[in-house]
Amino acid sequence: MIQFRNDFYADIRIEDRETTRISYKAGGLEEMKNRAEKQAFLRVYDGKLWYYASTTNVEHVQETLDGLYAAATPNPAILVDPIVRRFEKNRDSLLQFKDCSVRDISLEKKQELLLSYLPLLKEEECIKLPQGNYLDRSSLFTFLSSLGADIQYDYQTCGLAFGFDMAEGEKKFSGSWQKGGPRFEDIAGLEAEIRGSVQEQADFLRQSVPVEPGKYPVVLSPEAAGVFAHESFGHKSEADLMISDETMQEEWQLGKTVGSPILSIAEWGDVPGSGYVPYDDEGTKARKNYLIKDGKLAGRLHSAMTAAALEEEVTGNARAVSCDFEPIVRMTTTYIEGGELSFEELIAPIKKGYFIKTISHGSGMSTFTIAPSVAYEILEGKLGRPVQISVISGSVFETLSLIDGLSREVEFLSFVTGGCGKMEQYPLPVGFGGPYVRVSEMNVQ
Amino acid sequence: MEKEFIKDIEKSVTLNVTAGKIDSFRQIEKTRGTVRVYENGFVGVAGCLGEPDEAALTEKAKKALAFQIPYPEKLEGALEKEEIHEEEIIPVPEFVSRMQAFLDKLGERCPNFAFSNKIRLTHKRTEYRNSKGRRLVSGEKRFSLELIVQSRGSGNTFDTGLGWQGNHFDEEALLEQFGKEYDAFYQPAELPAGRLPVVMDPIYLLGRTLQLFVGDLYVAGASLLSGKLGEQVFSDKLTVKDDLHPATAGACFFDAEGCVAADYRPALVEKGVLKGLLTNKKTAEQYGLPNLGTADASYDGVPDLGFHGLYLDPTAKSLKELVPGQAVYVVLSEGGNATPEGHFAAPVQMAYLLEDGELKGRLPQISISGDFFDMLGQDYLGTVRDEPLEGGSLSAFMMQVEPV
Repeated sequence: MIQFRNDFYADIRIEDRETTRISYKAGGLEEMKNRAEKQAFLRVYDGKLWYYASTTNVEHVQETLDGLYAAATPNPAILVDPIVRRFEKNRDSLLQFKDCSVRDISLEKKQELLLSYLPLLKEEECIKLPQGNYLDRSSLFTFLSSLGADIQYDYQTCGLAFGFDMAEGEKKFSGSWQKGGPRFEDIAGLEAEIRGSVQEQADFLRQSVPVEPGKYPVVLSPEAAGVFAHESFGHKSEADLMISDETMQEEWQLGKTVGSPILSIAEWGDVPGSGYVPYDDEGTKARKNYLIKDGKLAGRLHSAMTAAALEEEVTGNARAVSCDFEPIVRMTTTYIEGGELSFEELIAPIKKGYFIKTISHGSGMSTFTIAPSVAYEILEGKLGRPVQISVISGSVFETLSLIDGLSREVEFLSFVTGGCGKMEQYPLPVGFGGPYVRVSEMNVQ
Repeated sequence: MEKEFIKDIEKSVTLNVTAGKIDSFRQIEKTRGTVRVYENGFVGVAGCLGEPDEAALTEKAKKALAFQIPYPEKLEGALEKEEIHEEEIIPVPEFVSRMQAFLDKLGERCPNFAFSNKIRLTHKRTEYRNSKGRRLVSGEKRFSLELIVQSRGSGNTFDTGLGWQGNHFDEEALLEQFGKEYDAFYQPAELPAGRLPVVMDPIYLLGRTLQLFVGDLYVAGASLLSGKLGEQVFSDKLTVKDDLHPATAGACFFDAEGCVAADYRPALVEKGVLKGLLTNKKTAEQYGLPNLGTADASYDGVPDLGFHGLYLDPTAKSLKELVPGQAVYVVLSEGGNATPEGHFAAPVQMAYLLEDGELKGRLPQISISGDFFDMLGQDYLGTVRDEPLEGGSLSAFMMQVEPV
């Protein structure tokens, strides 16, 4: 039983995390491990300074907490501190994966599943270096605070990630495919999907031509649109970068027009997948937050600290990548809401443009960049040849205002490798998605 | 059976800065232990967080041999070596007050900049031992400053960054350089588009193309460099190394398999000749390649390919000597990428105009592009060390520069 002291705010976050990694390269076993870690992160706040500590000695967390108390200064008014007043006092136990935990599946069964897919990477002769990975993570989070919060919830992802470097003569291409899901059965029976993707990327190797750089209409796939939403506007909505400059609040007034009237971007930790965060790392319950609604600035993402600084409310976005770090403002699952068109209707009016199907990475500040992997030209309203594009980029606000078409179909994506990076904390699992999105002009290189 | 034991202790004190004020103090000590055992061509690995119990880890690693992960039993031979550089930089009890005083001075010098992010002291010690009699110990302390800058009133969440890391804290040098950048930031500059000398941290280019040096890809014929080992591929001014030199902030002088390069900097490219590829002992043996000695490994993992820090041999003594006249100095370029054919393009979020090595003004947003082989060949102008601050490195390339 943790003994919290009066005249301070304190909280303790404990994560019991188990991960599995099985890797094959060129048919040989490279790695097979199951890692179990239990760690705690503690915070004490005295109204002036936050004191943080991390420990793997979870059984003696009280000693670590007492050490932080000793460094801080008692504050009898701590309960009326604007940050402390925003902390929620939730008490809940939300264990969704108790009966389907990947911890209960043997390493051998996981290995068998991975091995069943590897022959698919040998079907194309141009694949020179096939690599296959099975990855999973099962976490049990406990959150306790001096205000009485007492939360337990679990989190789970598992998935497959394949890489296949291809070469045919002078042509080279780094192919990849991956899929994640919360349950082991989500990644069974994927042969047709993997085979189709491998064939498409082999065709890309053989047939793709360099792009003619310039400004063109571009259609983004749900994967590219999700990354675009995350990079272009999600990071801009993280309020911790708004509180250092007092003029930012005027620049970012809610209700301001920031994009096309058909555009709505939402953020929600309750969406199943890699960005599932039912309670954030300050104990705040997830809620659906619109960042942009019908083209207007509708909200931003907060921790208690940033919500207090901007006199707004918490949003459930205080997250830490692990118990080595304090929670900061991060995204969960960010997505663009769907529109009214089919994919065919989206591309129909384009005389010459590009369709970005898959991407390798993206980043964003005042300008954003997406590095496409597989892309196609659009000619006279139809998909044409595959094209090699290094980057598509543009000013965030200009591009948001140039969105002029959205598909009805909306897709959410979950990944098991990589994640979102922000300052020292990487990789944080996030989810993203959206419809097919048409932008009337983007810079293509 | 052969065996390796690794223990790693990292202590850090991190201050968070919001609006130029320190608002948190984080102190962390993390110990990790690793045992790897090798028998009959297989490796078994066990790792732990916290003080390692070597006997228990060894037993666990032996059990992991049952997974039958192939790995050669080719441990490095006997060698005793320590590189301990643990001189105190700032006493921890003084850290908050000294850094707040520095931030206050920086705020006075740069009144239109709003600062946030981290300042950190790190102390890292790594010990490697193996059953062949090798024992290596690396110890280092470093100070790092990573400030995000917003120009007040810009409406941007991130306008530029100010940073430095090294084994001391030289307040005057930092204030002087950051002051120069501040002055140039508010001085608009124009530059005609076209091919221009571009000065930048070479990681912006090589970070996106390092995969071309991966040994497996090279042998598989899937790298643009395949078949060129030992050949003159790039400019004879270009030497590219992995920086494990103990004098470099954050460096450990040996790799995850206890390899120590003669000058602590194993070379990928020497005077334009492709000399090395990214390997570990397994891929080196598998493909008959020389082992570069830059392997990396997680505390509970099999050794993997690694690269620690980019080092390009200097070719000029000063920025003015490197790029006389006008040049573009890229401070921040996130999101660059290279096509499979080697065409590199990157947006530049923050750049200054240089004239005879001096900052003249801030350029509008631009994009830069070029061909990988040209940029490291005929378009490579050279590298200068200790610019813009001690320990830093800038390389220059002729590139296509376009306004965004």
